[in-house]
Amino acid sequence: MGPLPRTLELFYDVLSPYSWLGFEVLCRYKNIWNINLQLRPSLIAGIMKDSGNQPPALLPRKAQYLRNDVRLLGQHVQIPVQFPKDFFSVILEKGSLSAMRFLTAVSMEHPEMLEKVSRELWMRVWSRAAEKAGMSTEQARGLLEKISTPNVKNKLKETTEAACKYGAFGLPITVAHLDGQTHMLFGSDRMELLAHLLGEKWMGPVPPAINARL
Amino acid sequence: MGPLPRTLELFYDVLSPYSWLGFEVLCRYKNIWNINLQLRPSLIAGIMKDRNQPPALLPRKAQYLRNDVRLLGQHVQIPVQFPKDFFSVILEKGSLSAMRFLTAVSMEHPEMLEKVSRELWMRVWSRDEDISEPQSILAAAEKAGMSTEQARGLLEKISTPNVKNKLKETTEAACKYGAFGLPITVAHLDGQTHMLFGSDRMELLAHLLGEKWMGPVPPAINARL
Repeated sequence: MGPLPRTLELFYDVLSPYSWLGFEVLCRYKNIWNINLQLRPSLIAGIMKDSGNQPPALLPRKAQYLRNDVRLLGQHVQIPVQFPKDFFSVILEKGSLSAMRFLTAVSMEHPEMLEKVSRELWMRVWSRAAEKAGMSTEQARGLLEKISTPNVKNKLKETTEAACKYGAFGLPITVAHLDGQTHMLFGSDRMELLAHLLGEKWMGPVPPAINARL
Repeated sequence: MGPLPRTLELFYDVLSPYSWLGFEVLCRYKNIWNINLQLRPSLIAGIMKDRNQPPALLPRKAQYLRNDVRLLGQHVQIPVQFPKDFFSVILEKGSLSAMRFLTAVSMEHPEMLEKVSRELWMRVWSRDEDISEPQSILAAAEKAGMSTEQARGLLEKISTPNVKNKLKETTEAACKYGAFGLPITVAHLDGQTHMLFGSDRMELLAHLLGEKWMGPVPPAINARL
């Protein structure tokens, strides 16, 4: 048996398009690199509040930049991301509290579904295409009932606080546990650097699938 | 003769470590990709004014920056190191004289611009040396290969209207492209203009150019003759 896989924690919120980009790249590499990817649903609104930061979109020039950046990166990373028509309403008014509580419940009760359900939520908010994630209506209904329970609320709070303890001022963050050290990398654009830290090969955001380890 | 080289404008300030990272990567690729790299010395303070605030003013970002710059420096193979009194360097001393000097270099000795820029970064972002005093700027210019005469001549010009205005214009051009910080790389492609912010959009830039990304330290033997 080879060396132990290194643990990577990805803290994300489906409200964040950059979280989606980082998520997909890491999902592609999880069967290529010697890593153990742990998904950590978090609340970006909580991180902003705790760090004193503000959503980049509140600065006009950043808002303008974001639109193009997300579009171009979507093309490069091959993810069908599209800005919602009423972006400000989606991000600032509607938010993602229920969605992230739902994902928290999924992570607690059906962790094997977490990747697919997260993706499905991103598809709804950040893409026009939407597919079914394969969860049965019963399962989904059961989980929906749980999202206002103290257990689930607290778990989301804890996960968000953990991200803050790692130094997050936004999302996504990838926390790599390597040789007794912890590296926190912010953004979807630190994956090549992550490969360098892991001693793994970077093959771009869309690595060939045939390199998957068996 | 092959297709025309695509013009890339790099707007940068030596006060910005991320500008250094972007600068070195583009300098490495300028003889590999079919591009025409134009260096545009700008003032980051002018870009931030009324529009944004330096990330280092948010405590968690300041903490993050230190590690990010250190790790990227290792990965990109640039000897970048945080100055001991970071806030004094960035917020008090600034880079006005240095960027005016580089503006004068770009106007009179453009072939020296890359080397002099590099020497200024080496002073402030590698050896924790001053870049605000005249003798500091002279030392950087001389290290880059300028004669003392040439360097002194340019230094005398940094307070002239010509040079001051040119730096202002370049900074305004960056703002017109939508900059809220530096570095920005502006790629002119097929009649379109793409502004990319940060030193971490070079792989995306390669994708837009239809060129190959070989990491931040590409093998030199691929250089086009």
